[in-house]
Amino acid sequence: MKKRCFILLLTLTSALFLTSCNGNHNKSQDKNSLTIMGRKSDMEKSYMTSIFEQYETATGNKLEIIEFDDSEFEVDASKKFADGDAPDIFMHFNNADLNRFDVSDNFYYLNNENWVADLTNSSKAYCQDKEGNLLGLPFWESSVSGCFYNKTLLDSLGLKPASTQAEFDVLCQVLADIGYTPICWPADGCTWMFQFGLDPIFADDPSLLEKLNKNEVNYSDIPAVTNMVQWVSDAADKGWFGSDYLENGWSDISMIMGSGKAVMTFIWDTWFYTDFEKGNKYTVDDFALMPAFMNTADSGTYEGGNLNMMMVNKNSKKLDMALEFLSFCASSENYNIAFDGISTVSCFKGQTTNIQSSMVTNAGASIAKNERVSTAASKIIGYSADDVSAAFDRLFNKKTDVAGCVSLMDDYRIKEAKKQGVAF
Amino acid sequence: MSRNKGVTIKKWFGKLLPLFTICIVGVVAIIIGIFYFNFISEKIYKDSTDHLGEIYGQVNRSFGAFVERNWGLLKSWDNNLKSSNKDEVSDFIAKEQDYWGFSDFYYISNNKTCITQNGTKVNMVLEGAWDSLAQRKEPIMAGETLASGQEITVFAVPVQHGKYKGFDYDAIAISYTNKDMANSLNVDAFSGEAKCFVIHNDGNVLLSTQEGGNIFGNYLTYLRAASDLDEESLKKLNNDWISGNSGLLQCEIGGVSHCILYQPVGYLDYFLLSAVPQSAVSAGFLSVQKATMNVLFVIFLLVSVSVIALIALRSHKQSRKNQIELQYREQMFDVLSNSVDDIFIMLDSENKSVDYISPNLERLLGIKVKEARENIRVMEKCAINFNVVIPANELESIPLNENRFWECEYMHQTTGERRWYRMTIYHMSIQGFKKYIVVMSDRTQEQQMNQKLQEALTAAKSANDAKSNFLSNMSHDIRTPMNAIVGFSVLLDKDADNTEKVREYTHKIMASSHHLLSLINDVLDMSKIESGKTSLNVDRFSLPELLEELNIILMPQAKAKNQSFTIHVQGAPPEQMIGDKLRLNQILINLLSNAIKYTPNGGRIEFLVSELPTAPHHQYVKLRFTVKDNGIGMSKEFQEQIFAPFSREVSSLTNKIQGTGLGMAITKNLVDLMGGIIQVESRLGEGSTFTVELSFTLPEKEESDSWYRQKITRMLVADDEEDVCLNIKEMMRDTGVDVSYVTDGSAAVETAIRAHRNGDDFHVILLDWKMPGLDGVETARRIREQVGENVPILVLTSYDWSEIETEARQAGINAFMPKPFFVSTLWQTIKPLFSDYTEQKDNVNEASESVMDGKLFLIAEDNELNAEILTEMLSMEGAKCELAVNGQEAVDMFKKSEPGYYDIILMDVQMPVLNGYDATKQIRASDHPEASTIPIVAMTANTFAEDVRNALDSGMNGHLGKPIDMDAVRELVGRLISDNKNES
Repeated sequence: MKKRCFILLLTLTSALFLTSCNGNHNKSQDKNSLTIMGRKSDMEKSYMTSIFEQYETATGNKLEIIEFDDSEFEVDASKKFADGDAPDIFMHFNNADLNRFDVSDNFYYLNNENWVADLTNSSKAYCQDKEGNLLGLPFWESSVSGCFYNKTLLDSLGLKPASTQAEFDVLCQVLADIGYTPICWPADGCTWMFQFGLDPIFADDPSLLEKLNKNEVNYSDIPAVTNMVQWVSDAADKGWFGSDYLENGWSDISMIMGSGKAVMTFIWDTWFYTDFEKGNKYTVDDFALMPAFMNTADSGTYEGGNLNMMMVNKNSKKLDMALEFLSFCASSENYNIAFDGISTVSCFKGQTTNIQSSMVTNAGASIAKNERVSTAASKIIGYSADDVSAAFDRLFNKKTDVAGCVSLMDDYRIKEAKKQGVAF
Repeated sequence: MSRNKGVTIKKWFGKLLPLFTICIVGVVAIIIGIFYFNFISEKIYKDSTDHLGEIYGQVNRSFGAFVERNWGLLKSWDNNLKSSNKDEVSDFIAKEQDYWGFSDFYYISNNKTCITQNGTKVNMVLEGAWDSLAQRKEPIMAGETLASGQEITVFAVPVQHGKYKGFDYDAIAISYTNKDMANSLNVDAFSGEAKCFVIHNDGNVLLSTQEGGNIFGNYLTYLRAASDLDEESLKKLNNDWISGNSGLLQCEIGGVSHCILYQPVGYLDYFLLSAVPQSAVSAGFLSVQKATMNVLFVIFLLVSVSVIALIALRSHKQSRKNQIELQYREQMFDVLSNSVDDIFIMLDSENKSVDYISPNLERLLGIKVKEARENIRVMEKCAINFNVVIPANELESIPLNENRFWECEYMHQTTGERRWYRMTIYHMSIQGFKKYIVVMSDRTQEQQMNQKLQEALTAAKSANDAKSNFLSNMSHDIRTPMNAIVGFSVLLDKDADNTEKVREYTHKIMASSHHLLSLINDVLDMSKIESGKTSLNVDRFSLPELLEELNIILMPQAKAKNQSFTIHVQGAPPEQMIGDKLRLNQILINLLSNAIKYTPNGGRIEFLVSELPTAPHHQYVKLRFTVKDNGIGMSKEFQEQIFAPFSREVSSLTNKIQGTGLGMAITKNLVDLMGGIIQVESRLGEGSTFTVELSFTLPEKEESDSWYRQKITRMLVADDEEDVCLNIKEMMRDTGVDVSYVTDGSAAVETAIRAHRNGDDFHVILLDWKMPGLDGVETARRIREQVGENVPILVLTSYDWSEIETEARQAGINAFMPKPFFVSTLWQTIKPLFSDYTEQKDNVNEASESVMDGKLFLIAEDNELNAEILTEMLSMEGAKCELAVNGQEAVDMFKKSEPGYYDIILMDVQMPVLNGYDATKQIRASDHPEASTIPIVAMTANTFAEDVRNALDSGMNGHLGKPIDMDAVRELVGRLISDNKNES
């Protein structure tokens, strides 16, 4: 407690000092204020408001929050930048939409900031550009997505979790042979699963992603994509998804997994704290995490969370103040206060007050080895989980074949990209 | 009943025997097949498991050898390791690794630390084996998961304490990845479906040959969850493992039968466990079994097909035979039903559709079988007295195995023939199907016979009634004149001296006698006709003569009642024809007499003769005789029975008129006998019209040139009725005489005078008597005054000209002709007007006047009274008589007589000793010179035509009926004697 008080005092003192020294960075009308722009819903997160309050309280500076409705955010924010009215701090996910903001010209690379070492590998990796430049400070709740399995049930069957794709396939077949649904795969509305399979393809080969985003290749040109689609198709045909997966949706996952009807599902850890209903035969303690296998990575894959980053306007007159604000946020004292009690995977190594599931903790070594940054959903231009799901829906309903499904994925992707104004 | 049941069971048994046979053979084959299959399966299972045991025994031994080899290698390397420097050791291990294929080499210390050959520290647990290695100094084999997640199997042996790169070690080890280990355990047999595990006796899996990697943690747990083994079996299994026993069990995993074979490896409670799908184990054997079963199945199939084919063939033959029999029966039934008048129908009980209908339906009722088959109700239109032929509700009411019957009359749709049927409907069950069998038995003959019997009964009753009536009528009708005869005879005897009374009584007795005679004649005539003994005496006759005779007979009767009686001839009927003149005369006299009789005084009777059209060139003529009066007429009821015997209408008018009531019956019978028709139309109080139509054969045509030869070529006719003139002109066409006519007397005079002045007199002038203006007599007088005496003038009249005959002859009229006009009558009339004829006529008259006088008659008569009467009557004519009392006596008397002694013989027929016919034959056969020429006349009460014929056939020359009519005797005798004289 004493240590915390000391650090807070030191921080406030430093802030006052810096403020007095770098007044030219601030707007003339309010030298002690920073503008921070982001989605309205993002800005209203408890840990965000907490860190803002901490900052203002500790430094006496003011944070001017510029919020846009979620639906209008990309357009309105990019207009601000175009009009020369860019904020000091800009919050954005490191996804394809970030390209609207001319990253290299507008944002300050944070590679050399002191807090960088405190970032977990996955959060750091998420916030880097393809050249490895750190674009922002990850300050967000996050999760790990992978294959969550009913460990209690699996143990009772004398079976072990898979560590390879081959073992996973064997495991699925053995479970299917003895009457269990190996994978809970609700086809109706569960659109996220496909990106787990795509992540290794593009995360492991960024050049492939670049070619795809430049429209130099299509999914159909990438055998791994076809392999993944083929695997999903085969799994469905072999009954690994159960007999009624086409009728099942998001709301059914809890019952299916909780009842032990299905043994495994591809989801994220925080789902067990937000959507897994109590009263089932099996509780969250019965589950464990292993990599997701979709025939694109032999050892499987985990998808890291999508993180909102605080980026600094390199052209801001209050660049130092903004950097100091990031340092304030990256302080373990401060972020542990902000994330206290929040169920999330840690972005910082010193993050201790957040709630992290034992499933993730126990799978730490495997996650560390096989986790990949969420690439497909965030980095592929024109990627739409709904579109991919729609293509697979036709595949599941035998309205198209594997090649047709891949072709549809391409068509939807390109259409969406064009809709976003990308010149393919 | 029981016998029928037995027969039915036998029949069913016969039909089902093939099916039973097939079933029994099939069941036996299936049982044998099941036993064989089980035997083979058990055998195969045993062989398969033995095979499995052998294979995995080898695997186990190989694995044991592999373990021993690894341990042996490690032990053998220990000295080298200790005696070599680091580099040499590294080279050595590298060479050995290349050679033996292990994944790594380890140095292990007793404090559970471990380094690799390159000095990297490795965290090795060696769970469960550490104590053996470190404390008991035993070689071990243990599973291990490296930090990288890789699963390896470690083989270690304790060695003398050593040091490598500063690391103190007490054991050395090598490891193999589990994947490599699994490869060493893998068995190519069983189609790659076999899984081999090295497990600890607690079930934990050390390694497995599972393709893709081992996902099994504890196989005992897996079996508990995935197999059908119960807890007891699992416990036994676990005990086996703990006890180090080998074993084999069979269970289902995921619904697939598996063979689980376990054998202890022989070290640290490890077992080699193999799980192979039963199908894979027995695959080879199963293929043999499958082939065997296939062969057996094919054989069974062939045998079954053959048996079924044989049965089907037999069944087909039987069915064919049955069909042929059925066809025969149907044909026989069709023929039978065609030859009888019974109709057979079979109806379905449910829908009333026709299953069968006998083909004689069309013949008997005029309904086509096809139509009846389509709708049985078409028969309703044939039914006369039965609205619904087969009433549905009646059918429904017939209980099973019972019957109902109806009777009904049908009419043939084409011919209208009526038939009676007794329709019996049986409700039966045939082969489980409920049917109605309708048998329509023809009862027509029976019905007709009944009707005839009824009619006969009625007729008999009627005849009996008629007989009673007849006797009653006869009693009355005979007694009435007899009463008069007897009564007046008494009075005659009493008043014999009173000439006036005698004449009066005699007349009345004669009148009654004539009535009685006519009554007897009618009765006999009727009796004769009805008994069928009447035959026609067909001969050539003259129609004009017939009409003249009728006129002569009936005119006086009509005149007596002051009635108008006229005879008309319409058209130009032939004058000569062939027929029974006597009977025709009888018919017409009956009709005309009745007309006169039942027409009041001053009434009118018309007799019309007309020729009806016939086909051209036919040698017969059809005449219609119409008798019309304006008399009392008849009621409608009486008209219906007028031709019945003894039928007389009873009324105040008819009661006063005598009659037998037989006249019209006789007339009707005679018309029928002559093939004609008779009709009557009458209205009470207005008169009656009788029409008789008869046909007569025409004789060969005679030459008509006699007119020309007599130089008669022109004739003048005068009649106020032009139709009469035209009729005469038409009738005279064939004679070649040119007929001119005028319609009044003045014109006749003028025409005759003009012709005379022209020197071209008419050869005959024919005048109607009663013409307006100048009548026939006056016209004749004026013509005679101008043309002289050479032209014959005749008067044609339908009236009695006797009153004016003297005046007419004075006026110059040569002769009278009765109407209607006939050519032959004209010829007969004018012929005497020529000289040669006049002489002839005078001769005849002389002959007739002297024929009876002085002639000797031989009379054969057994009845003394009749003989006396006849003798007296002939004496009155101046004749003499000799009497024979029987035929024989007559024959004898004739034979003894001199030729020319007797002039004629009157022969009774029915006589004692010798009847008249035989007597005549004997006379004719005798040698008397006059045997063949002496006239013999029958004189008998037998007056029928055949009596006449019999008389003539026996050789007689004529026939006279009793009582004797002296006019008839005079006429006949005169003619015969004259003829006899001429011939002689």
